[in-house]
Amino acid sequence: MEQIALALFTCLILAIVSKSLSLPPIPFYILAGILLGNSGLKIISADEVLHFFSQLGLIFLLFYIGLELKPKRLVSRGSAFLIAGFIDLNVNMLLGFFVALALGFSYYEAFVVASAFYISSSAMVIASLIENKKLILPESETVVWLMIFEDIVLAFLIFIISTGLQHPFVLILKIIAVVCLLFAIVKFVKQSLLKILQRDDELPVILTFSAVLSAAFISRYLNIPEVLTVIALGSALSTTNPKAFERISRPFKDVFLVLFFFFFGISIDFSGNLSLMQALIISFIAIVSKLFSGFIVGRTLHKSYSAGIEIGANTITRGEFSIAIAAIYGSEIVSATVTAMVISTSIVGSFMAKYSSKIKASLKKLGISSKP
Amino acid sequence: MSIKSIELPGIGTKYELETEKGDKIAIVFMDSGRIQLYILEKGSETPTAAELNAWETRRLGSILTGAIIEAEEEAVEIAFSTLSDLRISIHTYVISKNLAGKSIGELAIRRRTGVTIIAVSRKGKNVINPPPSFSFEEGDVVVAIGEHDQLKTFESEILGI
Repeated sequence: MEQIALALFTCLILAIVSKSLSLPPIPFYILAGILLGNSGLKIISADEVLHFFSQLGLIFLLFYIGLELKPKRLVSRGSAFLIAGFIDLNVNMLLGFFVALALGFSYYEAFVVASAFYISSSAMVIASLIENKKLILPESETVVWLMIFEDIVLAFLIFIISTGLQHPFVLILKIIAVVCLLFAIVKFVKQSLLKILQRDDELPVILTFSAVLSAAFISRYLNIPEVLTVIALGSALSTTNPKAFERISRPFKDVFLVLFFFFFGISIDFSGNLSLMQALIISFIAIVSKLFSGFIVGRTLHKSYSAGIEIGANTITRGEFSIAIAAIYGSEIVSATVTAMVISTSIVGSFMAKYSSKIKASLKKLGISSKP
Repeated sequence: MSIKSIELPGIGTKYELETEKGDKIAIVFMDSGRIQLYILEKGSETPTAAELNAWETRRLGSILTGAIIEAEEEAVEIAFSTLSDLRISIHTYVISKNLAGKSIGELAIRRRTGVTIIAVSRKGKNVINPPPSFSFEEGDVVVAIGEHDQLKTFESEILGI
């Protein structure tokens, strides 16, 4: 009890500090965990209650992603969106994979690191677009849709990482069965769900919370990854009233997710095999890689280099999803690597996003024209 | 001039218009309820922006629509197309020294001009539907409702402008 209170209170203070410095709070939550946990002062240890709450954070984060997964929306966007998405995916996954291999990770671990390397932080990217008042630029639309594309790819990456590709046949059958069942149930009870969501008593909240928890429980019982089931549940419920579910689950997501980052920080072990050099290398390449993919997207879609710089600068930040991937996979060295990457990219990314127009202006002074 | 509406998932909806002269204006209604207003001057790459709350947006909106009829004062014209094009204007005026101390009934505003005073704002406090006995003070902001011509009569007969 006092551990959770202490954790949340520390995070609250850090969040106030980080927001007053216009820095993203996520790296600070992790740092708080590192500082108070095993690698630091050892004030807070990872007990079962904290672990349970942090699991809830992960589950609600992925439920939220599920709610945003509306396949119809993507089909209507057409080819420009897909081109941008595939450039971003290919450049960053490949570069991340080879860098990880070069740093000595196994093929499978390199895939996990590459996934965390690829996926930008939708939450921080979108918050920074609003904060830095960039929404009039057509590039910011491209960035927003890139985040949507990445979220869809994330569902597949989590599928691969959480199943570990073991006993694939039976497992995939089980997962398909559960997904179909969830969609069928939601379709069957859609009208009653919509009615409950309209009420203004406690019923909508209880409904949401129990649906998410039951989905997680059922998947444990059937021995399939719960992260997948909650994504599927979110996606099934997005056919009813996704806005209402988002509004209701948001407080749960916000609180538990902070504990999730904190817990992740506690459990990181830096005494292991990650050297400072390795951390610096992967962080640096993670920044360059997004700048590069943004540059190509800008040139292809907006026919302008400066648009490319804008897209690159705004997508550098890695965050909640990279941490989620590391937590699902769970190896110490991968977690430490991803943490280093998240902390450095989110801080550098927030500065680059803020000063992107100055960067563009100084590049122009150097004589680099904005049109190819 | 055409207004494009663009969905920004996770943020809200953006409305974009390009003026005749080539300046771009965008208004973003965010899911959070806040509104961002952008202006990108022609030829410039860095936009200017302001963030507004719902009240400020409405206020700005009424100024912008009012500007079509009267540039110097704040007014709104409402047209009901279903009621054979009934057009009603709502206008605000500031009470000058020469009307101070006189009541609505004394001035016989409705009988003389057809205009009705529907609200008075005095030092930040609002009186809705003031009675005929209501006396004006200098600096009161009144909201008057009527047809366009009636308001013109009100301006010349009562206010003396």
